Amino acid sequence: MSAIIEIRNVTKEFRVLNRREGLRGSIKDLFSRDYKTVRAVDNISMSIQQGEIVGYLGPNGAGKSTTIKMMTGVLEPTSGEILIGGNVPYTNRTRNAQEIGVVFGQRSQLWWALPLIESFRLLKDIYMIGDKQYDSMLELYRSLVDIEPLLHKPVRQMSLGQRTLSDILAAFLHDPKIVFLDEPTIGLDVSMKAKIRTLISALNKEKNTTVILTTHDMGDVDALCQRIVIIDKGKMLYDNDIEHLKGFFGSYRTLKLRIDGDMKASAESIQKELPEFSVSADDEWISVLVDEEKAKVIDVLGKLQSSYRIKDMQLEEISTEEVIKKIYEEGVA
Amino acid sequence: MKRKGLGFYLRIYGKILAQDIKSKMSYRADFIISTIGMIFTNISGFISFWILFRSFPGINGWGYYEMLFLYGFSLVALTPVQCLFDNNWSLRMNVYSGDFIKYCFRPINLFFYYQSEVFDIKGLGQLAFGLGTLIYSWTKIGLGFTPLILLKMIVFLITASLVMVAMQNAAAATCFWIQNSFYILDLVTRFKDYAKYPITIFSPVFRFIFTFLMPIAFIAYYPSLVVLRPDSVPLLSWLSPLIAVGFFWLSYKFWMHGAMKYNGTGS
Repeated sequence: MSAIIEIRNVTKEFRVLNRREGLRGSIKDLFSRDYKTVRAVDNISMSIQQGEIVGYLGPNGAGKSTTIKMMTGVLEPTSGEILIGGNVPYTNRTRNAQEIGVVFGQRSQLWWALPLIESFRLLKDIYMIGDKQYDSMLELYRSLVDIEPLLHKPVRQMSLGQRTLSDILAAFLHDPKIVFLDEPTIGLDVSMKAKIRTLISALNKEKNTTVILTTHDMGDVDALCQRIVIIDKGKMLYDNDIEHLKGFFGSYRTLKLRIDGDMKASAESIQKELPEFSVSADDEWISVLVDEEKAKVIDVLGKLQSSYRIKDMQLEEISTEEVIKKIYEEGVA
Repeated sequence: MKRKGLGFYLRIYGKILAQDIKSKMSYRADFIISTIGMIFTNISGFISFWILFRSFPGINGWGYYEMLFLYGFSLVALTPVQCLFDNNWSLRMNVYSGDFIKYCFRPINLFFYYQSEVFDIKGLGQLAFGLGTLIYSWTKIGLGFTPLILLKMIVFLITASLVMVAMQNAAAATCFWIQNSFYILDLVTRFKDYAKYPITIFSPVFRFIFTFLMPIAFIAYYPSLVVLRPDSVPLLSWLSPLIAVGFFWLSYKFWMHGAMKYNGTGS
């Protein structure tokens, strides 16, 4: 099967004005403009199959939005090639738009004053969705979420959560091959986040839609993505499945201890005893991040037990969040 | 994929319009107040016009009713820009905040999609007022009523509207390049106030400006000459429909060029 998204050696450069400081600098800028070239995306390649959910991660300013804008046809790559379902998105913007759905976390694309159902009807006309397909899609939506209370409510009166939900439903309405979700759970409460994750996962399974998800919430990644791509400073750091990612740091475990006496002071003395591992403490637990290649957790525990009275202990696998944080900070070593 | 022609766009527009009006009506107080406001704006405009022409029975060979005709003509001609293209006023805010990007993902014409979002119902009051003035002055001048003259009126009203729309499009689209395009848009809107006067009352410099640089003379003066002074219609009047279409097309291209190079803000 050929890939639905094919990105080959894509680079995007922006010309940015080198601004001088202060008022005098601004006046100088008026007359001599000094540009520098910034590489927002640097030689990225990936190929994504129909039906995959890909988490597209990276710190702020990593080049995620720029890549998404190139895939949706808003930006033209400086060099390299992007094919979305065989189309070049920038030159066939309208045709590309028919094949994709886009949701930006905090910018609703629905008609502000209209009830959701009227927005759906307009989208039905704009995307030329057949009656049958439209009805079956609404039927599917009804089975997945409780949309009845939303349908007749103008978008402007909705809560952020309801609006995001509506936006996602609207993006899937014309059964696009790919849906881009840019931070869909930003600013939502825990139960709404869960609802939205379930919905995305169900729509992906039901319609075999490819989903490209950018997020800073590792809960989204854990709940949805089989595969993740990480970029930073425009360069691709990682592209593989999520299990593999944990394998990178799989030898790390967090040993959590509760000790009699002053926790803070004990944490400091433990750090002295175990200089090769990082030790931190909060009100409840002392955490020791153990690299199992250097020492077994059980040995560490034994060593500590001889000098401290341990009341309680826990052993934790490293979380996705910590893995990603390590990659952002240290790169994939 | 099927081709999306004029019929497709008209149907979509009709539906958006119906929905929009429906939702506006639901804010009843807002609807009533803005309608009253529009009526007062028009009445006060008319009163200042009336006071002016009570003191001067004619300007440069233009009588009271002919001036009234021009006034009504410009009001009617300005209705489309007010009703259908009002979203141009929000363009710079949308571009500045980055919200404009949401218009870029639909499989329909971007310009159409953007402008279709807002229908300013207040313009309809202006239309009614303009039509009233036009018909009143029409009967007073005794222009007569033939199918030919009606056809001329329709063609030249469309001409005039296109010129105004084109000017506003071009002014609004400058926001794709400069930060604060409000002044340009405001300037264009202020200039249109001069459209209701016969261009011959201005000095040659302004006549040139209003004809070729800021073509507001095409909003009322040149087109209405065809009806008002059928014996001495200048060439520019006959050419004005072509000029208007060309100008509109250029402004559309300019607008789209800006929109296509738009790349949003970070998110």
